[in-house]
Amino acid sequence: MEFSELIKTATVENVLLSCAGLPAVRGTLCITSHHLLLSSCPGGDVELWLLIRNVDAVEKRLTGSSGTITLRCKDLKVLQLEIPGMEECLNIASSIEALSSVDSVMMMYPFFYRPPSLKLEEGWHQFPLEQYFQQISSQTSQWRLSTVNQDFSTCPTYPPAVIVPAAVGDEALRKAARFRQGGRFPVLSYFHPKNRTVMLRSSQPLTGPNRRRCREDETLLGTILDEGERGFIIDTRSAQAAKQARMTGGGTEPKSSYPQWRRLHRPLERGRPLQESFAKLVEACSDPSLSMDRWLGRLESSRWLSHVKAALSTACLAAQCMDREEATVLVHGAEGTDTTLLVTALAQVILDPSCRTLVGFQGLLEREWIQAGHPFHLRCAHSAYSHARLKQEAPLFLLFLDCVWQLSRQFPFSLEFGERLLLSLFDNAYASAYGTFLCNNEKERSLCKVKESTHSLWAWLNRPEEQQKLLNPLYSHNALVIWPSVEPQSIQLWQGLFLRWIRPSQHLDEAWAEIQRLVEENNTPAKESTGNRLSQSLSDHTAGMENRR
Amino acid sequence: MASSSTPKYNSNSLESSGKRTLKDGTNWEQNEEIPRLPGETRVTDKDVIYMCPFNGPVKGRVYITNYRLYLRSVENDPVVVLNVPLGVISRIEKMGGASSRGENSYGLDITCKDMRNLRFALKQEGHSRRDIFEVLTKYAFPQSHNLLFFAFLNEEKFSENGWMVYNPMSEYRRQGLPNERWRVTFINEHYGLCDTYPALLVVPYNATDEDLKKVAAFRSRNRIPVLSWIHPETQAVIMRCSQPLVGMSGKRNKDDERYLDIIREANGQISKLTIYDARPNVNAVANKATGGGYEGEDAYPNAELFFLDIHNIHVMRESLKKLKDIVYPNVEESHWLSSLESTHWLEHIKLVLTGAIQVADKVSSGRSSVLVHCSDGWDRTAQLTSLAMLMLDSYYRTIEGFEVLVQKEWISFGHKFASRIGHGDKNHADADRSPIFLQFIDCVWQMSKQFPTAFEFNEQFLITILDHLYSCRFGTFLYNSESVREKEKVTEKTLSLWSLINSEKSKYTNPFYSKELNRALYPVASMRHLELWVSYYIRWNPRIRQQPNPVEQRYMELLALRDDYIRRLEELQITNNSKIPNSSASSTSPSQMMSQVQTHF
Repeated sequence: MEFSELIKTATVENVLLSCAGLPAVRGTLCITSHHLLLSSCPGGDVELWLLIRNVDAVEKRLTGSSGTITLRCKDLKVLQLEIPGMEECLNIASSIEALSSVDSVMMMYPFFYRPPSLKLEEGWHQFPLEQYFQQISSQTSQWRLSTVNQDFSTCPTYPPAVIVPAAVGDEALRKAARFRQGGRFPVLSYFHPKNRTVMLRSSQPLTGPNRRRCREDETLLGTILDEGERGFIIDTRSAQAAKQARMTGGGTEPKSSYPQWRRLHRPLERGRPLQESFAKLVEACSDPSLSMDRWLGRLESSRWLSHVKAALSTACLAAQCMDREEATVLVHGAEGTDTTLLVTALAQVILDPSCRTLVGFQGLLEREWIQAGHPFHLRCAHSAYSHARLKQEAPLFLLFLDCVWQLSRQFPFSLEFGERLLLSLFDNAYASAYGTFLCNNEKERSLCKVKESTHSLWAWLNRPEEQQKLLNPLYSHNALVIWPSVEPQSIQLWQGLFLRWIRPSQHLDEAWAEIQRLVEENNTPAKESTGNRLSQSLSDHTAGMENRR
Repeated sequence: MASSSTPKYNSNSLESSGKRTLKDGTNWEQNEEIPRLPGETRVTDKDVIYMCPFNGPVKGRVYITNYRLYLRSVENDPVVVLNVPLGVISRIEKMGGASSRGENSYGLDITCKDMRNLRFALKQEGHSRRDIFEVLTKYAFPQSHNLLFFAFLNEEKFSENGWMVYNPMSEYRRQGLPNERWRVTFINEHYGLCDTYPALLVVPYNATDEDLKKVAAFRSRNRIPVLSWIHPETQAVIMRCSQPLVGMSGKRNKDDERYLDIIREANGQISKLTIYDARPNVNAVANKATGGGYEGEDAYPNAELFFLDIHNIHVMRESLKKLKDIVYPNVEESHWLSSLESTHWLEHIKLVLTGAIQVADKVSSGRSSVLVHCSDGWDRTAQLTSLAMLMLDSYYRTIEGFEVLVQKEWISFGHKFASRIGHGDKNHADADRSPIFLQFIDCVWQMSKQFPTAFEFNEQFLITILDHLYSCRFGTFLYNSESVREKEKVTEKTLSLWSLINSEKSKYTNPFYSKELNRALYPVASMRHLELWVSYYIRWNPRIRQQPNPVEQRYMELLALRDDYIRRLEELQITNNSKIPNSSASSTSPSQMMSQVQTHF
């Protein structure tokens, strides 16, 4: 396939671009294989530089000799193009439709993007699992790094290396893998340095209607616990759903075969209901006619905030089991690639200060989402606007980012990064110039040679000038566990994301800049005595203190 | 960060409720059991069980003074403390009888004006609650018992005198008034023209005092159109008044009609005068039945009338009541957002803000003078004019400017604080009570959320104002009008709330404030951008994590540190001075100390 075949009209003159909150501009529209460009006059500024992959839905409306195309983007932005000429309008619309729905990974922009300032290999090997394993092995010898999945044959969605109990051999792992859906046998997700408890994750056991058992799986989970020790299995399905899964070959760990484990069911929504919740919320946010009176009702009926609350509560439960009960935790749902990762990743942000730094958070995403096999390509194929028949889309990653945002709001000092990073991750997960979120798992990435032929998002974000924009000026290391409040009033709509293109952000940006300025001013004489800094920053406010004793 | 070490992820423990009370600014004598203000006297105390809705029964001792109810637990660690000015109490009820069964079923139930209720259980023997009930009733409702408000007994001393903050003449001068088109009139000097208006009024230069008297006859309660604010560039003005007395028969008044025309012409305006009637259209029509009404097109061809759809005091009272039902003591969990929606509280906030935006926009962009009224012109009108002025004039966004705004548009123009709040009055069901001023402060909070750098004051400032709206510790909000305040000699016999605030300004300062002159601020009044003011309405619930603004929080820490340094310095000086003869420790004035602090460190 050639891109040129998909582009029916490459340029149109005199196109009017309008976008909420910005003045409309007229210029020449130009379609390239990956971008939509609009420049106001020849040689002039480029007003629009849109990655076509970012387009989620194309709507066209013809009136007389001209037409209007509405582009609804995956990052939730909405653009309108007024195009003179009916044929041009139709051509442009169908070109954008065709280009935005190219499904072949290797045709995507990251494979063509070659920024001069970055090297291809940069950032791809920044977070090897070996490194994480070394941290653990310096504190305990109960775990080993297994290469049983070197050729992806044991589990196609796991990375080549996984951390497993030292006492279990590779052969037993292969057998245990056959007893778990998609081969996702229990592996270590997180080691809690504070009390040396661990969190594991897997997929559901294939108990089936005949209550099948697997000795190797039982031993694997058995060896982790000492005599008399209890472990918790957090199943992200309801007890009912887990039971029903037996009919289709899945199931849960029965008490009789796993006597030391206690099962807790915490149903979390995923798949279609979650995608629909996302779409409903975005629809409510972008409905201009909405009378204010119905807003809260629609916000509630989208149920998005209850999903946020449920995800945070379940992650808190997992974290509580580890931090307070000092118990081992195994998390799984059905496939173990969606809500499972949501819970394990979120629990780590709550528990571990090293996941709350800019680089540590990237490492967490790499380990618990990307290498752990969250199917980004399927889940993020479409965003909230798409009319296309949904296949496997679901905004689990967005839900995770939203939960992290809630944490950052409740603990404004404890995360080293700000909202900007979260927004950038959301944008890049859905449409990106970088290869980081391409494909569904490491096996596919290796087949497509993603790491050899595309740039890593981390390489870009970790350039000092980019990092500067992502950092939270108020950050100060907090070694404690951050327990969020999950009361309904404490969970807020993430306006920075859902109202990003709707609300005017000027004043909030100003306030942010002011904070940055204040903090920088405060930090410059960092080596000087406290008193000096105090009198500097507070000299304006010395009046009126007289009658305090 | 203390918040990260809380034992349960959904609980903030009692700590916060204990701490908050200590920041009250009251003197705490170490040898005394309870904090007391100068002039505050102990009345009684008693062992009770405080039925804390969040943490269950708490054994403690309650102390009642002529100003507050103070409870300290005897067994809990950390100590549970309640510190409630009696002024916030709206109702005291006895619960259970001498024979009622069940644990802790006998005692008192106290409803407060600040979004909480308190319940105390007492021993079921010997009429144990009788005296405490009587004492509470007496001191919580001094007006109903021929007693003075505590404000008249308060002997606190402050370095600033808040009564000096507002001087009507200098405020009008600041606005550039009087000028060749607007004059100051003393016609109301003895409140003879209108007993709910201030003594000093600004009216069109071309209207004589005789004209004003004739207009007064046609306006409800004689509240004639007078100037609130003038735009420094366009010279367009915001006028306020009450409804015209049109009545069922559609009465007209030539003087009123001409007066409105004079107002319109005062800034050389050719277009129509815009009149904003704050009420919903139907209510304005219905008011005709009781002699009121609105400016009809026939009688006022040069005016354009818009209705702003803001509901009356009864609707607002019911709305707040519903809000309290869903947040206290327990927050409605399962359908939080739709419950919140069904209170309509945010909807009312939105309508008030939207109305104020229209007024401000008309004056600023539309370059047209506007006249604002509702029925009597002391509730919704005050909300609209003061909010519009806050949007247009950056002076009102400073601490002192805001005090001036409240003093001018609310206190001096006769918002009936006594009736709306029910200061010291036992009639808790009085239909005159309504949270109109609270609603205004909520709107200001919404604006400060949207423009975090535009206001010199912080959230604590707004909450402090609301706390003392009820406390009766200061004279600021007492009584219904300037004329009554003058009669009661409020400025001579009581202290101003602004004395407290201005003596400790740093506590109320927004550290992000960046001074900008003459920028009009139009908040987005869409529901999507309005939030429930959780840190006010749900502040008693320890499960709601307080979200202090991070910079403010750090700023407070620095202030505390500084206080600590000053204290230590003072100690050092005292020890020094005791060694050096001829220098008296007591004469060291704090301001001298301050300069030493700066050079020393």
